[in-house]
Amino acid sequence: MREAQRFQFVSSDRRVREDRRFVAGQGRFAADIALPNTKHVALVTSPHPAARIVAVDKTSALAMPGTHYVLDGRELAEASLVLMAGLDTPNVPRRPLAAGVARYSGEWVAAVVADTRALAEDAAEQVYIDYEPLPHVLDAEVALSAGAPLVHPAHGSNVLLDRTFVWGDVERDFADSPHRLAFRVKWGRSSTIPLETFTVTASFDPWRDMLDVWASIQMPKFPDQIAVALKMPASSVRVHHDVDVGGSYGVKRGIKHAVLAGYLAKRLNMPIRLIEDRLENMRGGDAHGPERSFDVEIAFDAAGVIRSMKMRALDNMGAYCGRSALQLGKPIGAIVGPYRMRSVQYRAIAVTTNKTVQEAVRGFGQAPTNYAIERAIEEVAGRLSLDPIEVRRRNFIRAEEFPYTIPSGSAYDSGDYHAVVEKTLARSDYTALRAERDKWRARGLLAGIGIAACLEPSGGNASFEALLNPQNTTTTWMESCRIMIDTTGSITATVHTTSSGQGHETMVATVVGEVLEIDPDRIRIVRPDSLSSLPGNSPVGSRMAIMLGGAAFHAAQKLKARLIAIAAHDLGIPPERAVYRAGDVSDRADAKRLRGWQELVTIAHRNFHRLPPDTEPGLSVSHIMQVPTGGTLPTPDGRVHMYPCFAFEFHLLLLTIDPELGKPEIRRYFVGHDCGTVINPKIVRGMTLGGIAHGIGAALLEEFAYNEEGQLIAQSLMDYLLPSSHEVPVIEIVEHVTPSPHTVLGQKGSGESGYLGAPAAIANGINDALRPLGIKVDSLPIRIAALGDMIAAARDRNG
Amino acid sequence: MKPPAFDYVVADSVEMAAAALAEAGSDAKIIAGGQSLVPMLNFRLLRPSVLVDINRIAGLAGIAETGNAIRVGALTRHYQLETSPVVARHLPVLSCAMTHVAHLAIRNRGTIGGSLSHADPAAELPMMALLLGAELDIASTSGKRTVAARDFLLGALTVDLAAGDIVTEIALPKLPPNTGWGFEEVARRSGDFALAAMAVTLTASDGAIAQARIALTGVGPTASRAAEAEALLVGHALEPRLTSRVIGAVRAAIEPATDLHASSDYRRHLAGVLTGRALAAAWRRAGESIA
Repeated sequence: MREAQRFQFVSSDRRVREDRRFVAGQGRFAADIALPNTKHVALVTSPHPAARIVAVDKTSALAMPGTHYVLDGRELAEASLVLMAGLDTPNVPRRPLAAGVARYSGEWVAAVVADTRALAEDAAEQVYIDYEPLPHVLDAEVALSAGAPLVHPAHGSNVLLDRTFVWGDVERDFADSPHRLAFRVKWGRSSTIPLETFTVTASFDPWRDMLDVWASIQMPKFPDQIAVALKMPASSVRVHHDVDVGGSYGVKRGIKHAVLAGYLAKRLNMPIRLIEDRLENMRGGDAHGPERSFDVEIAFDAAGVIRSMKMRALDNMGAYCGRSALQLGKPIGAIVGPYRMRSVQYRAIAVTTNKTVQEAVRGFGQAPTNYAIERAIEEVAGRLSLDPIEVRRRNFIRAEEFPYTIPSGSAYDSGDYHAVVEKTLARSDYTALRAERDKWRARGLLAGIGIAACLEPSGGNASFEALLNPQNTTTTWMESCRIMIDTTGSITATVHTTSSGQGHETMVATVVGEVLEIDPDRIRIVRPDSLSSLPGNSPVGSRMAIMLGGAAFHAAQKLKARLIAIAAHDLGIPPERAVYRAGDVSDRADAKRLRGWQELVTIAHRNFHRLPPDTEPGLSVSHIMQVPTGGTLPTPDGRVHMYPCFAFEFHLLLLTIDPELGKPEIRRYFVGHDCGTVINPKIVRGMTLGGIAHGIGAALLEEFAYNEEGQLIAQSLMDYLLPSSHEVPVIEIVEHVTPSPHTVLGQKGSGESGYLGAPAAIANGINDALRPLGIKVDSLPIRIAALGDMIAAARDRNG
Repeated sequence: MKPPAFDYVVADSVEMAAAALAEAGSDAKIIAGGQSLVPMLNFRLLRPSVLVDINRIAGLAGIAETGNAIRVGALTRHYQLETSPVVARHLPVLSCAMTHVAHLAIRNRGTIGGSLSHADPAAELPMMALLLGAELDIASTSGKRTVAARDFLLGALTVDLAAGDIVTEIALPKLPPNTGWGFEEVARRSGDFALAAMAVTLTASDGAIAQARIALTGVGPTASRAAEAEALLVGHALEPRLTSRVIGAVRAAIEPATDLHASSDYRRHLAGVLTGRALAAAWRRAGESIA
């Protein structure tokens, strides 16, 4: 097992350099891009969950003051190609504006361009659309059934994906197990709700044949997707990466927004800005998260050791599908969680309905699956009357078993789950915590301890793409970094994607500084535009510490090697005899013989005659990083190694419920977290705390609820309830470090931490509190009114 | 989410505001704190042709003690009521209720007159006006009138204000001696509109309840008093069987709505639970005030 290292800058509690500008209100967001003559877009949306668009009457709208254009779906469909789909579903075309048929309430049907956003909204009210309502379907099980209305009749059914994987001898393991149980749980439709809604500014210069785009994105291959949809050469689309993004955690994909704005910018030859308002964002921003039901069967022995699992996951995609269905694929990379199971059967089903379209949400489908797995552990413990922590201990993969290959093909890199659990129990004083629970119970409250253990697969190679879509043969998901030293000796390193708050600047500066032994504060970080960028993807899948951090590390190593080579040549010594220290290189045999940083820089930039043979002048190095352990396609039976790293988290909380009100209150919250080497502790803690807050929302508050008429009824932040500081308790993080053997510093991902286990822990805590009443909650979010009703009914029954 | 176009008049006196409102007819709206109005404008649920801004009218804000009452200017902000020592001394139940009004940022801006005029079915202030027997002074170009809160609140978002009327001041009678109070509210999150909230005052005399007031919000189209339940209490000491009967009377008197956040049944259940708790607190405090 790799030992934890000591570092000069890495892991020290340094300031996050990005925070300064955000705290001072000096971020530069897409909405801050102010081009002369910019026009503004408002959207006309469908009031029906399903309807044929018979006619679009633009006459009155075009007569409104300051109005320049009304774009309908038909015109855009004729001028552009459909948006990229994650699955091989050619008959489920997705476009920025509905063409011919609207398939969910709130879907964008027409776009109005005017001098200001307010004028555009005024004109949008004057676009008259003749609809012919069609039958709609909202529920995923109903959508599966025969005779259900078809969201896309040309596709032939509502099923986008229905694949069953069998890894290992599931039937034999079930037959051989003395105990079996089955349950169903549901994960409700919620999402991440960024403070900044999606924003894009697009400007076309016909004299340079260039479409410039500033957008609040977190989207892989964004420029290429715009170019393909608009039938332009990708070299004519320039996406500016140096805008700040005001929150995302997955959802800021914005491809339909950017294609729409790009088309209008080109068509009208005017800069176009589209800023979703909150209503457009919530209904038509195509940014809802998974809505998934699980049917789970577990086979286990008398000691509570699980042998096999069957899981059916049915996800309600909404009306169209970009990458969202792939969220059923990512959990395959950790389908057994942190547990040893011999075999697994997994059936993944994605269906279309007349709801808003899904997008990636923090964890890319892992959090719902972790919720199902953690419920399974609780069920086993309950069936055998065992302590749920003890059941977890008995099933955990042991520290000495890594690397550990799970039935679906992923090889977990490292971990010490038992140690993290023991550390967290010690910190929380678990015995005292149980006593506190019992004290609340004695006072007449319902009280429960919530537990969840789970993994955060990180650094992904996107193998789920190839696994779920045979047309897709992607086996790399690279990220890059370039380091340049100018003639004055200043250091600049590059990041080739946007940031949605991950702290890339701090992270890259820390890693480069560590390798070069130079204060990270002296290292400038910039983001070139997409046409000046090295290959990359984007900060998704908890990958940037691993991939961008890896690229920065390797680039810095190359730079260091270059400096050593130059100095050794100039000193007339073999490179092995040269000693690098903080930018200076000396002769090991005679420390006084030294070439300092500035002299080496001058040699590289100006003194070609002093450079080693075949050395490029100047000082610029770059590294394009392949995913560690990645690069292979899935086997025909659906096994694939999916992620290089697997971080571990263990949640432990105490909550109480006033039985007369049904309102849960989280009183204590501990989380043990092991994401390997931490590059910047403040960033990692921030991710974890935010993730738990998000998890509290998913467990208790946040839901995109619909009525039977197909209308989204949580249309504002008054009805879609985000946890505030009042709802988030003090959280104690218990840190542990098991370095990954596959990464440059031993780091693992942490961008999804907290969220991946918090909903499961809260649901388990509520069920522990409800246990004396003989009832359980089986779906998220757990509304207090529903809980109150359940408790009242149970108390009536029990007398 | 941009409001439709409107004309904007800044009034520097009540007379000027009344004149501007009268001129615009039924198509005008007063803007004070704007905490409910502006979202409604942005959702285009309201389309007034004129907004009359009363924020700069001198003398319309403030809290004054006059003999038997506390007089509150309509432009007084929520936080001023919340933190007023005079209110805390004479109307502690109101100080408590104000901490449940939304969040600090909203309480810094929202006004007493605005909240009463808007009359959200789940807001705290209409309920407190009913509980405390408030009287509202209303001005218009045709003169001044005074209306009791019970006559002012007519239904969901509906009050006794004609086009051109402005609420200028609210008189809140001080609580009688030997009065205890209770306030209970449940919302999904801190600061949200109440799923149900109950406020109670009990005035004790010789070990029995001489006067009982129970007000509710969140459980009907507008805030209300539970008159039948109040009547059950008078002349008795509070004890568990009486509390049960009062809870039953409260539950029987209301017809809460079902929405995304709670069912009608749950709200009715809550109203009863909170009544019991508010009664207990009020009775305890009434006893303490005598001791």
